[in-house]
Parts: sequence; structure tokens; C-alpha cells
Amino acid sequence: MSVTLTVNGSLLTLEAPPAARLLDVLRERLGLTGTKEGCGEGECGACTILLDGVPVNSCLVALGQCAGREVTTVEGLGDARHLTPLQEAMVTEGGAQCGICTPGMLLSAEALLREKPAPTDGEIREAIAGNVCRCTGYQRIVNAVVEAGKRREVRP
Amino acid sequence: MAPSVGKSVPRVDGPAKAAGSARYVDDLVLPGMLHGATVRSDVARGRLLGIDLDPAFDWSGITVVTADDVPVNSVPIIETDQPVLAKDEIRHAYEPVALLACEDRLRLEKALRHVTLRVEPLPPVLTIDEALAAREVIRPPDNVFKRYLITKGKGGAAGPGVVDGCEVVVRGVYESGAQEHVYIEPNGMIAFWDGEGAHVEGSLQCPFYVQKGIKGVFGLPDDGVDVTQAVTGGGFGGKEEYPTILALHALLLARKSGRPVKLVYGRQEDIEASTKRHPSRVEIATGCDRDGTMRAVAIRILFDGGAYVTLTPVVLSRGALHSCGAYRWEDVHVEALAVATNTPPNGAFRGFGAPQTIWAIERHLDRVARTLGVDPMELRRRNLLGLGDTTATGQTLKESVGVQECVEKAMAASGFAQKRARGPVVTGRLARGIGAAVFLHGAGFTGSGEKYLKGKIAVDLLPGGRARVRTASTEMGQGTETVFRQLAADALDISVDAVDFAVPSTRNVPDSGPTVASRTVMIVGSIAVQAATELRERVDEEAKANGLSPAEAWDRLAADPERATALVQYEPPPGVVWDDATYSGDAYPAYGWACDVAEVEVDLDTFETKVTGFWAAVDVGRVVNPILCAGQVEGGTLQAIGWALTEKLVTRDGKILNPRMTNYIVPTSLDAPPFTTILVEAPYSRGPGGAKGVGELPMDGGAPAVAAAIEHATGLVLDRVPLLPEDLFEASLKGDAR
Amino acid sequence: MSIAGLALHSFTAPRDLPEALGLLAERAARNEKTVLLAGGTDWFVERHVAPPETAGTLPLVVDVSRLDGLRGISVAGDAFGGQKLRVGGAVTYLELRKDARVAARCPLLAAMARDVGALQIQARGTLAGNLASGSPAADGVAALAALDATLLLRSIRGARRVPLSGFYTGYRKSVLAPDELIEAVEIVLPPAGASFVWRKVGTRQAQAISKVALAGVAVVENGRAKRLGLAMASVAPTVAFLPATRALGLSRPLAEIMDTEVREAVLGDVAPIDDIRSTAAYRRHVAVALVTRFFEALRGA
Repeated sequence: MSVTLTVNGSLLTLEAPPAARLLDVLRERLGLTGTKEGCGEGECGACTILLDGVPVNSCLVALGQCAGREVTTVEGLGDARHLTPLQEAMVTEGGAQCGICTPGMLLSAEALLREKPAPTDGEIREAIAGNVCRCTGYQRIVNAVVEAGKRREVRP
Repeated sequence: MAPSVGKSVPRVDGPAKAAGSARYVDDLVLPGMLHGATVRSDVARGRLLGIDLDPAFDWSGITVVTADDVPVNSVPIIETDQPVLAKDEIRHAYEPVALLACEDRLRLEKALRHVTLRVEPLPPVLTIDEALAAREVIRPPDNVFKRYLITKGKGGAAGPGVVDGCEVVVRGVYESGAQEHVYIEPNGMIAFWDGEGAHVEGSLQCPFYVQKGIKGVFGLPDDGVDVTQAVTGGGFGGKEEYPTILALHALLLARKSGRPVKLVYGRQEDIEASTKRHPSRVEIATGCDRDGTMRAVAIRILFDGGAYVTLTPVVLSRGALHSCGAYRWEDVHVEALAVATNTPPNGAFRGFGAPQTIWAIERHLDRVARTLGVDPMELRRRNLLGLGDTTATGQTLKESVGVQECVEKAMAASGFAQKRARGPVVTGRLARGIGAAVFLHGAGFTGSGEKYLKGKIAVDLLPGGRARVRTASTEMGQGTETVFRQLAADALDISVDAVDFAVPSTRNVPDSGPTVASRTVMIVGSIAVQAATELRERVDEEAKANGLSPAEAWDRLAADPERATALVQYEPPPGVVWDDATYSGDAYPAYGWACDVAEVEVDLDTFETKVTGFWAAVDVGRVVNPILCAGQVEGGTLQAIGWALTEKLVTRDGKILNPRMTNYIVPTSLDAPPFTTILVEAPYSRGPGGAKGVGELPMDGGAPAVAAAIEHATGLVLDRVPLLPEDLFEASLKGDAR
Repeated sequence: MSIAGLALHSFTAPRDLPEALGLLAERAARNEKTVLLAGGTDWFVERHVAPPETAGTLPLVVDVSRLDGLRGISVAGDAFGGQKLRVGGAVTYLELRKDARVAARCPLLAAMARDVGALQIQARGTLAGNLASGSPAADGVAALAALDATLLLRSIRGARRVPLSGFYTGYRKSVLAPDELIEAVEIVLPPAGASFVWRKVGTRQAQAISKVALAGVAVVENGRAKRLGLAMASVAPTVAFLPATRALGLSRPLAEIMDTEVREAVLGDVAPIDDIRSTAAYRRHVAVALVTRFFEALRGA
């Protein structure tokens, strides 16, 4: 069966099993390995992507449910040589350590900043509550999002 | 060139991680690759009578490996008691018995369900007490893996009764449960064989540990085994010794199938089968004067090692060596035992035995303070180790003891004294309290460990004024790649951007020793600086001797294989005297010190505890990278808070009932407190720039600080972690208030 | 680590509700299993832990997440001069949170939706999905029960209205027929100024399954409760409607109702167990405490 969807701005028609998890299609069919699997049951958030701009766990979404929709993965934010202010801030403020939660974390933060460019500590923590980090203690992730908000004001 | 040490150089592996282009093992694909899976026992103990493959299932294209396929069936860690695959007996639930590989994951999933293990169950030993009772002996002669005895002063002659003559004797029993690492990236390895030998790449902390394991099992020489670290999504000790097992399993499948094999654990399998923090019971008796001057301490430490030895002797050692805490004692008697049970083997986890014993001694000091009616911090101040004092093993602290400054700064930043003095603040149904812990953590391997390790590092000059660090010390989020570049860059007087960090592969890097024990910066970092300094001198001499510019000299040396590299082996400082037989002397070259303050709000209806503030003042000797350093403190502290409040491993009959992230509860961003991190520097003369270790220290203080705060808020005294709301509730019924 | 068997499932996204109902009916008649997939927050987790199904028994996955007939939030007058809130079965918790009418007129639903999992789960999870899964821990079901919601069930045979109180017949068992789906839920909106409580006690502050969750709504006039809806999650095999506690709360002026009576009523209305998350004793204690606090708040109202 073929499913047509937009991934990181590119319109794609995929011949792929529609009941397959979006996570597996992204990683294995499209080679977009930036989205990670940490638990397979929607608990850790490492598989977070934006579906029509809203953060969801791609381990809980069927490919077929994405027909006609827009998927944004971490690869759709920026690449290593052209990081967005949010990605940069995540690095400079210490919000990334081992990095495995970082892609999902960035997408949750990106969605928040689009809606609330100057979020409070509480708003940030709520926005990333579905992204478990075992390395940082979250403080520096929060700092990074605050910093990113400021930088985006200057350079969106 | 302005020095980079002391600056928050952005982590160099950051951009790839932020871009999602960093490749972890599950992102790697090899052509013709098979997927591997493990068949495991679902009983805790028994005789393995046979492995049955359902004849009605189509086994074509499926590789099956059992113990008979393993050339030398033992995993070389400290002992060789743990088989690579179980052969005749099962000693723990989830013990690996057979391996399957197939190109098709669905067939593989199905095949797993068509393997039956014929096991004759035997009565399992499941607790420390059952092990000690030794009605069933699973580790001859008495179910004890290891014992240590540490004595000082009259402790040797008097034994545990050494406290009896003191004015005030206080006794307590403190316990802790297992803890699972929950690195967000589960364990995984990818393996293949070729003309050169065995190749593995995967999520790991110690490439040479894995190499050693492979050499032992397959009888291969060094150059026949190539182990490469993939970008690793968290380790915390959980990928210190455990990945060797995956590597061996993947290689066995690769060898039998003739294809590359990827073996990656799902979360449930990872929680079930991999190592955990050792559960503990610590019994403490202290004797002191009425004014709170501590005199004598008798401690009995019991750790549950699980079914096989793995690293238990070393974990127990560190636990024992930290059991007297940050305090002065004249007379000491510490007896430590680790027992065998039919549970999955426990292993390395950040802190490595110290969190358990520091939990105990800190809770005990609070108990003593309560008994004497003195302020707990006052009691600590009275007895705190300082320069010139000797520890429980008789080590004189000659330098680098920043604990006083840590205490002062943590107290000041948190407003502790005032908040403590006013007592619990109850607003509606919420009770707020504050508590503190003071603690230490030895950096580097114990005693003569570093001497035996002979850790090495290489730094190479590269053309164009660049350099490369080659070390087995791995990056797993703690900042190795960045910090080593900083150290080398400063010693070479070049920019951090001009330094490369080689991917840790046993083919390319010397064995620096394992990335554990808070030794990476202090020990390996110090030889990185040495090697880089040597090269700088070489360049300057070359320039001077030949009338060249430094850049020209650099390039000339870089082009000369004989002179482009400096290889340095760690030499322990002279005068470090340690006696393994009596377990006395200089246990660690240096100690990190810290004071943690936790502020909590306890809901008096539901007994939920919220940590509303946390202050950590940490003496790291010298801060190489402030943001990365603070990140270690905060991340480690939150793991300690999780251990303290929510992380309970629930077991029955030796099996884990909550092996999933939905029911093994780690903190989310809404569970984490705002952190105030204060970095203190009491330099250690032998550390690079004065730096000591920091990786594990933060794990040691969070739990007792939180428990002390809960006690302050509610009057409830709890001596066992985790402190679940259900436990506070039960304590409230028993009137466990003071 | 991918769920390999998923690829074998047939999948269809009907264009409208009648098509979906027709499909459901055909398959039910042939005894063939159908999975109505909306948010997937239950089903994909079940697939993840379950063994692979045998080829012959694979259900058809029917995507209902974007069916117009199952979406939409509306407020309309009812026959008695009140107002009804109608929430389509496939409306997500995030949509509930963001809806201004829900925030204004039924803050209980908004408060509950905020506590469901985390944002990623709220963005996908639906009331119908959680109602159909039948977990007694479901936050949404508890809130609906406190609001005495009515479920609109539809099949090709027609529509029927079933009060939530009559929907469950046992642990994860309901009256939903194999050819039926939950089209919408309807709530008689409490009047402006009504009091409500949503209190979830979970294993942590987010991504938590409740140990106990209390949902309540009350209209208090002159110290007496005129309307009192209460429900509790995770204290019985199905959502607990707390009938004795409701009756107590409605029986006399609130000031005359003693805490001891509240305690007795609650303990009689719940039957919690020891499980992986908590203990029966703790749950009983918390259940009593939460309801007691709500009654206190109502006395102050």
C-alpha cells in the first residue's frame, strides 16, 4: 500500500506497510536515524517527532495515520554545520550530554518555542515532561530553552 | 593562546548529537546483517536438562547457538564463574541459555517462542538473609563471594564491641534496594568476523574490557580482536562490564552464521537481564562523647551480589572504604560481606558501593544527632575530616580537602541554618523541610589499582598545527572528548578546535584503563597533559635546533612517524602506600568532597515528596569545564534523588515485576528540582590543573539529604531507600516520628 | 527492536463514519477482529509487549483518528434549560485542554487532560480510546464518570445512549458490541460557579499511571450540595462511582457531615488492591484523604 506524506518538507510517496510504526519507517526505510527508540511504549520520548507541528511519540503512530500530514524529525531542524539557535543553545548550555534524548527533546522544545517564544521554567518543564533524560538533571535543558528563546528573538 | 581549562567550551560532540547525525549502535547497518536475540531462563535456579527446538517450526535461515558452541564458556571479569551461555545449570532468572539470529525480525520473534528450556527447578536463594542462612549453598562453602575487614585503633582487637566503652552508643540498620541505570539507549552490539579476526562495535564504556573478554573466550591475540565504541547513549557503569556479554553473544552468532550480527536489547530485556546496583544492608554502631565527639564505629556491610561474582569484590571494597564517611574516627571495625543469590548479577553503577554505605553513615549521624539533641550539621562539623587527619584506613589527608568550604557554601546558598532552626513549615496539607548530607568519594582506582592498570595515552602531532588524542577513555555524555581536547590544547598551546579525539577503538588507541571510578580526568587526563607537554617541548626544541618556525617544526615532526607521537603511561605518585592484605593505607590518591542540601515539600495526605530545591557544593579540585562539570553534578544528583524517592525494583521469585519504563519510575522534568551547583576548588597537586574526579561523587549525597529533609518536614524517620509515599504512610501509622 | 509483526496487519482509513461502521459490522458478522485505532497509546503498547500473532488471526487496523464523525467539540442547549457538552470520540486530550469552552465550563476535563501522560500522549490519546480499553486507571474515564457522562454508541444498526455508569460490566469488559464504536460522549455541563476537583496521585509528576485519582464536581447552595458527582480511578476493577459517598454528600447540609462518615462511605465505595504501583492500604488512605479535602473545600464554598 502506498502512503503519501511530507517528511521534513519533502513530499514522499512510500510503498510501506501502513500499520508499521512511523518510528521504524523513519529509521529504516528513510534512513532518518536521528529519531531514537528508548522504550517502544511511549514512556521515554526519545522517538518524539512533530506531526503537523505537534510533538508525538512516533513509536505509537502508524504510518497509515500520517497520510497527507507533515512529519518533522530532528533532521528537519538543522544539520551539524547549520544548527538552529535552539540546537546551538542545547549544546552551549549543557543540555546535551550523551545525546540520545536530545533529538526528541529538541522537537518538544521547538514546538513550545513556536507557541511561546519566552516560556517560563514551569512551561518548559511541562513541555518536556514526556522526554526522559538520565544524564543532565534537566536544569541545563531548561536553561538551553530559555536561552534559545532569547536568541530566536534576535535571529529566528 | 588563551587557556581553555576553566572555560565552558561547548561540547565538541554536541553539534552531531543536536543534529541527530551522531550514530549510536542501533543506527548502524552492515550489509547482510542478521538480527540476534537471546533465549533466557524464566526460573531463578535449576538444572538445565535440555534445549528443545520445536520440530514443527521452520528453522531454515535461523542460526542457533548454545553453550556447546562457546570455545571457552566463561566470561572473564574478575573470576570465571559466569558462563557465556548456561550449560547444565541455571543460576538466575533471565540467564542467557541460547542465541538466535535471523535476517527477518518477525521470524526471529516467532523462533524465540519455539524454543523450550527443560529446567528442573531448584529452591532459589533470593535474599541476603537466605544466603547467610546457607540452607541452600549456591556458592561454596557459605554463599559469600567476598569479605573485607577494615580496622583502626582498638577496632582490630576489640572487634564490633569497640563502641561499648563509649559514653553514648547509638545503633541503626540502613537498607537500600537495587537500582537500574535506565540509560536511555539500551545495550547493543554489532559484530562480524573477517580475515583479521573478530570485530565488534557497540554501546560501551571500556573497549579493552570487551577485548579481554573476547580474547579469553575465543583464544585470540590482541590484534585479532577489534573493539570500537559507537556513540554511547549513557552508561553510568551499566556499560562497564555488561557489554562484554553482548559482544560475545553477537560474535558467537556471527561466527556460526558467517554473517554480521546486530544484537540490541529492547528496554524490558535490558532491565531484566543487565546488572543493577547492589542491594544493601548496613548495620552501624557508633560510640561518642556526650558532646558529640565521635570516637568509635563498628559497621557490618552486607551486599547482595546476585548469581555471579562479576565486579562484586570491587564494589564491596569501595563500599567498605567509604562506610565511615567524611568523619574522623579513632577506633574502627568494618566488616563487609557480599553474598550470592539466585538473582541477575549486580554490577557497576555510578558510586559503585559508596552510595549504599554513605546513605547509611549519613542517616546514622542524623540518628546520633537526634539522640544527643544536637543539630545534625553541628555534629558533622565537629567531626569532619580535615587536612592532616587520618581516615578509617589510616590515610593521612595531606592535600586537597575542600569539605569545609563546601559545607559553608552550601549552608549559605540554601539558607539552611535559618530554615532548619524554624522547623517544618506547614501550609495547608504541605510540610516543608530541609536536610543536608556531607560526603566524599575517592577518585581513581583503590590503593595500588592504578599501578596495576598501567593506563596509557597517546597524543599525535598532525600536519597543519593540529593534534590528536588517542585514549580508551570513552565519551558517554560526561564530556571526555571535550575535556581531553581542552587539556591537550592548553598543554600544546593551541586552540581546542585544533585537537582531534580519536574514536576509541582497540586498533587505534592505547589501553588507558576503563572509563570508571571517577578516574578519567584525574588519572588519564594527567597523562594527556604530560603527553601533550612532551610534544610541545619537542616542537620547541626542533624549532630551536633547526632555526625553524614552530609551525614548520610541528609539520616536520608530524611527518615523522618516529617522533610524531608521545605515548605516556600513568605512574602513581610516590609515597602512595596501600596494603591489600590489611586493607589499610592510602585508599585513594585524592577525594572529591561535597555538601548537599535538599529542600522538600511533603503532602501530609498523600505522602508524596516533592524536592523543591537542591544545593550541591562540590570540591572537584579544579574545574576544567564549568558547564560540563555542573552537568555531572546535577545529573548524578537527580539519579540519587530517583533512587531515594521512586526507583524501586519489585521482584518475586527472583523475577522483576516492573521491567519497563512505565513501571520502573525515573524522574521527569516535573520531578526534578531546580539545582544550584557550586563548584569548589581545593586543588590536587597530581591532577591536571589540580582536577580530581567528579563523575560519581554526586550519586552519594542526594538520598541522605532528601531523607533528612523529609524527617525535618514530617518527623518521619526512614532508613531504607526508596522512600515511597507508601513507606512514609506506613511509617506514619507506626508513629515513626521522633 | 521494531515490532516486526505490525507490518503484516492490513490497514484501512475509512473516509467517513458510515464506511467505518459498515466495515465493523461486516467483520463482526464473520467473527473477524477489528482494531479501531485512534491515538494508539494503548494498542501500540499492547503490541509491544505481546507475542507475535499467528498469521490467520491478525485483526484489521481501522484508522478512525481523523473521521469527521468522531471529532469536534460542541455545546448545545438541552431539553431542560441546561447545556450539554458533546465531545467526539476521537478528540484528543490536547484538544480538550485547548478548547476555550471546556476551560470555561468544564475545567475538570481540562485539569484531567493536563495530567494524562505527557504532551506527546495528550496529543494522541482520545476519550473513546481510553473508554474502550477499559483500564480502571484511565484518567479520562474517571473525569467522565464524575460528570455522569453519557456515551453515544453507534453501529449500522443505529445509535444508542448508554450512561457511563452502565457501560462497564467488569474488568476491561463493557457493553460495547463488536460492531459498535463510541461516537461521542455527552456531559450535562455544571452551571457556572460549580466546584470541581481533579486530583491524581501517581508514581511521579508526569508520565504516570494513577495510584488513585479523584474527579469531582459539585453545585453547592446554602451549604448544601445540590449536585455531586464523584469518581475515582485505580480503586476497583472498573472506575468507581462512589455511590455511597455521593449519597452522603447530598443527604444533609455539608457542615453536618462528619469526616468519620465521609471516611466510612469512601471505604465502602472502593476496593483497591496491592499491585505493582501501590498498596491497597495506601490507596484506601489516599482515597479517604482526597474526598475529605474535597468536602472541606465544598464546606468553604
